[in-house]
Amino acid sequence: MKRKEILGRLIGELTHFILEGNPLRMVVSLHQEDDGAHISIFDDKPRSEEELERIRKSLNPKSHRPELAEYYGMMAGHDMAWDARLKLIGWQIKHASVGNSDSGVQIDLWLGSDAFSPVNFTIDGKK
Amino acid sequence: MEKTEKNLYVLMASILGTMMIVALVFDGPIATLKGFLSLQVHAGRLINDFTTVGVGAALFNAALVGFIGLTLVYFVEVSMSGPTIAAIFTLTGFGLFGKTPLNCIPLILGVWISARIARKTLGSYSLIALFGTALGPLVTYVMFDIGLPLGISIPIGIIAGIAVGAILPAVAGSMLQLHQGYNLYNVGFTCGFIGLFASSLLIATNTMEPLEIIWSSVNEPILAMLVVAISLVFIIAGLTFHRVGNIRSTIGEFLDLQKFSGRLPTDFFDNSSAAATLLNIGLLGLASWTYVLLVGAPFNGPVLGGIFTVMGFGGFGKSLRNTWPVVTGAVVATLVFGKSLSAPGPILAALFCTTLAPIAGQFGIIAGFIAGFIHLFMVETTAAWHGGLDLYNNGFAGGLTASLLIAILQWYKTNRPKEDFEQ
Repeated sequence: MKRKEILGRLIGELTHFILEGNPLRMVVSLHQEDDGAHISIFDDKPRSEEELERIRKSLNPKSHRPELAEYYGMMAGHDMAWDARLKLIGWQIKHASVGNSDSGVQIDLWLGSDAFSPVNFTIDGKK
Repeated sequence: MEKTEKNLYVLMASILGTMMIVALVFDGPIATLKGFLSLQVHAGRLINDFTTVGVGAALFNAALVGFIGLTLVYFVEVSMSGPTIAAIFTLTGFGLFGKTPLNCIPLILGVWISARIARKTLGSYSLIALFGTALGPLVTYVMFDIGLPLGISIPIGIIAGIAVGAILPAVAGSMLQLHQGYNLYNVGFTCGFIGLFASSLLIATNTMEPLEIIWSSVNEPILAMLVVAISLVFIIAGLTFHRVGNIRSTIGEFLDLQKFSGRLPTDFFDNSSAAATLLNIGLLGLASWTYVLLVGAPFNGPVLGGIFTVMGFGGFGKSLRNTWPVVTGAVVATLVFGKSLSAPGPILAALFCTTLAPIAGQFGIIAGFIAGFIHLFMVETTAAWHGGLDLYNNGFAGGLTASLLIAILQWYKTNRPKEDFEQ
């Protein structure tokens, strides 16, 4: 149940962010393992390097913030009326990679338990 | 631990330590400790100005409550940053009118139990544990004021505190969704909601006494000076943080900080710089102090508590830019309804209404003004609803105001025909 909630929240906030750019195409993919998950999202709007860096910074916070992740992280994916807030996602995941794919932006999120290692996933390694 | 964080620990510990020394020197150690012990058996429901017992006792109690917060932050290994500084300042401020070490600990224990049940660390719920001490008066009211023998009422008070603490994380998360982070004192909103049930139970058992206002009209110069001193410490710390040569860059960062809406959770230490945030905290302290001085309100426990809370949230959502429209709204409402700006309700509302600062930060001056105006007449009634058991009554009223405004704004924003699919 908890897994479903957190995935729903993160995907909700991430799609909110992508939809703000009014894309013509958006693809969300999810790959689950026992101890973690990988979410990947693409659109058809390439971003400037400056914008990609801003997204990277928001999704990869400088420090671990459990006090913000558990409490305020509950707001992620809940509100579509105002600006998307990628930091709400950043506090709750292990790692995020951001870059332009052939068509637009591609954002990959890895999340899971302490034992979880993103290297076990093949999707990131193929790029 | 990073150097900035270490410096913040030293800064906060020095302020609390100085408050303790001032307390012991001001009233003498024996009178201070006697007063401190007598405060522990006060219910502390709104509004109970602890400086009426003794300025030294109130300051000592406040510093000790602040140290509980500081110790908790240290041991649960969360960042000493905007939210935790806000919590420590708020705890200290309310240690002057309602919180005591005795009534805080059962609530923190309850939140810890909740964390264990959810298989999380106390660090994850640390902000809820710290701010949740707003319901401290419930613990001491049940312990000392419901007319049962102490051997029975004290354990009941402790159990009540633990039980309420245990449900706080569940309720706080849900309340956050109502206003979407536009009420900075979300746990105050939560505690008011829980307080409605607790107060109704006490009324049903005929154990609820009517509210009374215990308010010192004496203007204590030591308390006024304390605010100025702490504010100046923060301003100097901010300006010298990058060494003196970089004052211009600090001022530039401070001006950039003013652009943030302040919506929860905006940690200024994280989003801006430590130097600019320290400067923001100090200037908010001086601005609040000036307002209190201008309207001729006394510098007593609750007023100091209000100023400390404004300062604390100077690292976590409040700035000079997003607070003034809300305060102006509350001031105009006070005048429109023919109240005195220095009366207990309006002066506290003018300070604490800054809980709605993110509304001004996000939607502009007019929205902020309206929020402050509504807040003033709401906060005057809400204390009676929870029987003064929720010390963050302004957080409760602010939560209601923000929820109403956000619901309307959200409906408006999601019904724009221009952005709909073509028919």
